[in-house]
Amino acid sequence: MRRNKQGRKAGLAVLSTVIALSMVLAGCSSKKESEADKPSSGNGLAPYEVTVAFFGNEQKDMLEVQDAMNKITKEKINATVKLMPIAMSAYQQQTNLMLTGNEKIDLMITSSGLNYSTQVAKGQLNPMNDLLDKYGEGIKNALDPDQIAASQINGENYAVTAVRDLASDYGILMRKDLLDKYHIDPGKIKTIDDLDAVFQVIKDNEADMVPLVAKNPGTAPFNAGYITYDPLGGGVGVLPNYDNNLKVVDFYETKEYADQLNTMHRWYQKGFMLKDAATSKQDGREMVKAGKAFAYFSNLKPGTEIEASRKSGKEMTVVRLTDAYTTTDSIQGIMWAIPKNSQDPARAMMLLNLLYSDKELYNLFTWGIEGKHYVKKSDNVIDYPPGVDIQNLGYNFGTPYMFGNQFLSYTWTTEDPDIWKKMDEFNKSAKKSKALGFSFDVDKVKTEMAAVNNVLTEYRVGLETGTLDPAENLPKFIDKLKAAGSDVIISEKQKQLDEWAKSRK
Amino acid sequence: MLLLMMLPGIIYLVINNYLPMFGVVIAFKDFNYTKGIFGSDWIGFKNFEYLFKTSDAFVITRNTILYNCVFIILNLIIAVGLAILLNEVKKRFLSRFYQSVILLPYLISMVIVGYLVFAVFSMDNGLLNKTILPMLGISEIPWYSEAKYWPYILTIVHIWKSAGYLCVIYLAAIIGIDKEYYEAATIDGAGKWMQIKRITLPLLMPVVTVMTLMQIGRIFYSDFGLFYQVPLNSGALQSTTNVIDTYVYRALMNLGDIGMSSAAGLYQSFVGFLLVFISNYVVKKINRDNALF
Amino acid sequence: MKTKNLIWQWVVNIILTLIACCCILPFVLLFTSSITDEQEMYRHGYSLFPEKISFDAYTYLLQDAGKITHALSITIIVTVVGTVTGLILTALLAYPLSRSQLPWRNFWSFFVFFTMLFHGGLVPTYLVYTQVFDMKNTIWALIVPGLLMNAFYVMLMRTFFATSIPEPVIESAKIDGAGEFGTFIKIVLPLSLPILATVGLFQTINYWNDWFNGMIYITDSKLFSLQNLLNRILLDIQYLASSNFGNSQADLAASAPMETVRMAMAVIGVVPILVAYPFFQKYFVKGLTVGAVKG
Repeated sequence: MRRNKQGRKAGLAVLSTVIALSMVLAGCSSKKESEADKPSSGNGLAPYEVTVAFFGNEQKDMLEVQDAMNKITKEKINATVKLMPIAMSAYQQQTNLMLTGNEKIDLMITSSGLNYSTQVAKGQLNPMNDLLDKYGEGIKNALDPDQIAASQINGENYAVTAVRDLASDYGILMRKDLLDKYHIDPGKIKTIDDLDAVFQVIKDNEADMVPLVAKNPGTAPFNAGYITYDPLGGGVGVLPNYDNNLKVVDFYETKEYADQLNTMHRWYQKGFMLKDAATSKQDGREMVKAGKAFAYFSNLKPGTEIEASRKSGKEMTVVRLTDAYTTTDSIQGIMWAIPKNSQDPARAMMLLNLLYSDKELYNLFTWGIEGKHYVKKSDNVIDYPPGVDIQNLGYNFGTPYMFGNQFLSYTWTTEDPDIWKKMDEFNKSAKKSKALGFSFDVDKVKTEMAAVNNVLTEYRVGLETGTLDPAENLPKFIDKLKAAGSDVIISEKQKQLDEWAKSRK
Repeated sequence: MLLLMMLPGIIYLVINNYLPMFGVVIAFKDFNYTKGIFGSDWIGFKNFEYLFKTSDAFVITRNTILYNCVFIILNLIIAVGLAILLNEVKKRFLSRFYQSVILLPYLISMVIVGYLVFAVFSMDNGLLNKTILPMLGISEIPWYSEAKYWPYILTIVHIWKSAGYLCVIYLAAIIGIDKEYYEAATIDGAGKWMQIKRITLPLLMPVVTVMTLMQIGRIFYSDFGLFYQVPLNSGALQSTTNVIDTYVYRALMNLGDIGMSSAAGLYQSFVGFLLVFISNYVVKKINRDNALF
Repeated sequence: MKTKNLIWQWVVNIILTLIACCCILPFVLLFTSSITDEQEMYRHGYSLFPEKISFDAYTYLLQDAGKITHALSITIIVTVVGTVTGLILTALLAYPLSRSQLPWRNFWSFFVFFTMLFHGGLVPTYLVYTQVFDMKNTIWALIVPGLLMNAFYVMLMRTFFATSIPEPVIESAKIDGAGEFGTFIKIVLPLSLPILATVGLFQTINYWNDWFNGMIYITDSKLFSLQNLLNRILLDIQYLASSNFGNSQADLAASAPMETVRMAMAVIGVVPILVAYPFFQKYFVKGLTVGAVKG
């Protein structure tokens, strides 16, 4: 009896704890909204810590760099910085959780690859137009109005792109020493069909080597390597030739796709690719480095040659096969946003503004501390300090294009000192996709998208590595896409695109 | 007193499991970050639609259930068999050695298992295609694009990885059996086989029943690593390797939709719940003591 | 009789040796791949007998030796604290459930078992631990969420208590004047060493291998566990291959590390557990002898 009473007491205690806790919880999810923009500027600001979330793996000397950054930011905007690098694979999940939990993030990386438009639809991000006008002068100077506008949704910026390569052309990178050895003239390669002969020579003469690999592990060679359409945010439904009079089509049904697959299948059968191409988990560039592969397709930008050669340890020749285009996706690839959770969006914008305009701060964030992580060779050119190389460097996230305005960056001794000028020209001279500025909101068709995603993983890599015979599998692929609802997605995309086009007039 | 002893554990379960269960509402909502969990709009069963509105719905459900049934049965037979064998080993040193070794596979992460399987089945430099098949005079087989082999491969990999783990559980139960039973049986002249059949197996039944019931509860779940990492996400194999967990993962990989992932979890739990309820009822009919609750 | 026993022993040993080989060979392959020369690996693929041996992968990993030993110490603390606490909680909960005197026994069993079937999902769990208990970026986040106690082990232990410890033993202890708790400590636990060792071993493995809590609750690198550190790299590769990023600006990270390094990471992750295993085995055997004198 006594035991029972005790038990009941304990039960009661548990119950009341539960109730108390759930009330706290409910409170947490509803308490919100901050003292947003204080109309203040300059030095009259209260101290504030700006938490910055971005992709990257922890660097040994990060706290030191953070301290050095704080010296600058403290003086200019009376704020300190808290760097929060998050592993890429965990990024989406962690930021989503943090945003759900109202944890403090003031600035974060977002991207069309992270469903930027859905983030906006789901209310994760702060609108930015006013903030840009008030505190974002440096950002506005660093970017063309077009480039800023490309990340607008319904006329409002919820994020702004980092200054970097904002357009892309596509082509193939090949080992220069082998081209020379077999007297192959890269200038004669104009289309992908000209490559058969080249690959054949390599195949015949270099027994240990596979002529073509995919750049990224687990993908097909053309993936991020040879693209002739505006992907309009990915999934199904693209704009062929970046125009097509704004008519969205299913790329997988086009003749062009069928032709590509036939080429791939031919290459596969001729042994130009790994037999394991569809499942290989090896990085194409690593294979080139190991002397096991000859070429891979890649997206290109000014300086690709040097960058790729450095990565592969072999001199690489680049053959450009497409024109350079700017699309919404190329601009939305890496953007900075101020999430809802920021308690002081104005200050976040001020910091962002500094990253786009303060040369010292940008280079500190990107390359670390002078003398320790790099040494200056001349005013604008840097190199590793003596005794230090990429392997034992204490600070280098390896993503200079992420941290604001890359055009402020010092160049390395191995790089072209005029690279940023060239990059700027490249960005400006690139053709613009007709749908530049259109962002697709997938939310309305996410049921279909979920099913379609599965069909895509089922067929794409197999077909696009030539492993599967297109004659037999392409029709199946298309049928299955339709069954999964690809038409619904395409018509929704078309609808949104039409509305967007109308609003632009 | 007994209740007091339970208290810490119960509190933990409340915090870790019951408290978060309010979150199932997310499955029925169009989750919005600004509005929060409770403020978001109700959308009924829309988040569940993608689980059924696909031509693969049948395939993934069939795969999930079939694999799990086979796994449950084979695991049971092999792990119990192994445990009995291990218990028979007289040399203590050898017994310890075997125990350590059979647990090895359980320690390696599935990603790495995937690499190891690839080392065996790779087209370009796999052990099978490069060494073993040529010796037998068989021509190369493109393992990663032939779906028909994978039910066997996955089953073998699964057994290889988990039999040791389950065996340790059964072994603990066998060790716990009173030695007097065996001594008495030996005096009565019962042979090894007889002892196993009459003493070991019946006394193992409670553990076996509990283990099986618990596995039935998870019949709509599958080991994600096994079905995703081991076939290296090869599309051509999806007809025999796609299960509910991998389907959901692939579907939501790029969508990151919280509502839809909660919906999948709820669906899996619900089916498991029904099945356990039924099987527990059956067990109860046969032997009250062996039932879970 | 004697010879029959001897033959039986031989049969058992041969079967088990074969099985042991099946288990051990892939592991040997794992190890040899980790010490195969990288170039060799690309050229000839995996081999049990690499022609050229190189410890590059390990030297590469050991450049971060400081980071790795720090992560290792985190893992050890988490594993020890988690396993011990978890084991106590599990046993304390399982024992009453095994007793027929427990009021509403079926209800409590169901209460425990239900947690195996339904869970609120990641988001609410995250909210509970970060908002209510403020565990984000603390070592508790590596210990408490999900891993500390699980219904599976509770049910397992309950069944063991119920079947292997005869009610009369407990009753006689009580007649001797021992309370419930005293009986549990003095009589039940010593008789249950095999199952305690088993569950303890599983808990240890679970803590050791866990990277999920780290990925969810930890952004501060000072609290990264070993598996968190190792898995991060593997996960990043997988993510690159399957996400939308593959399509666009894909140079997001330094390129994936060599195959050999991945294998070396796996070896580093497994070896410490192997070292710890004999410790648990000791208790299996102890359980044997104690079990023999009971009753």
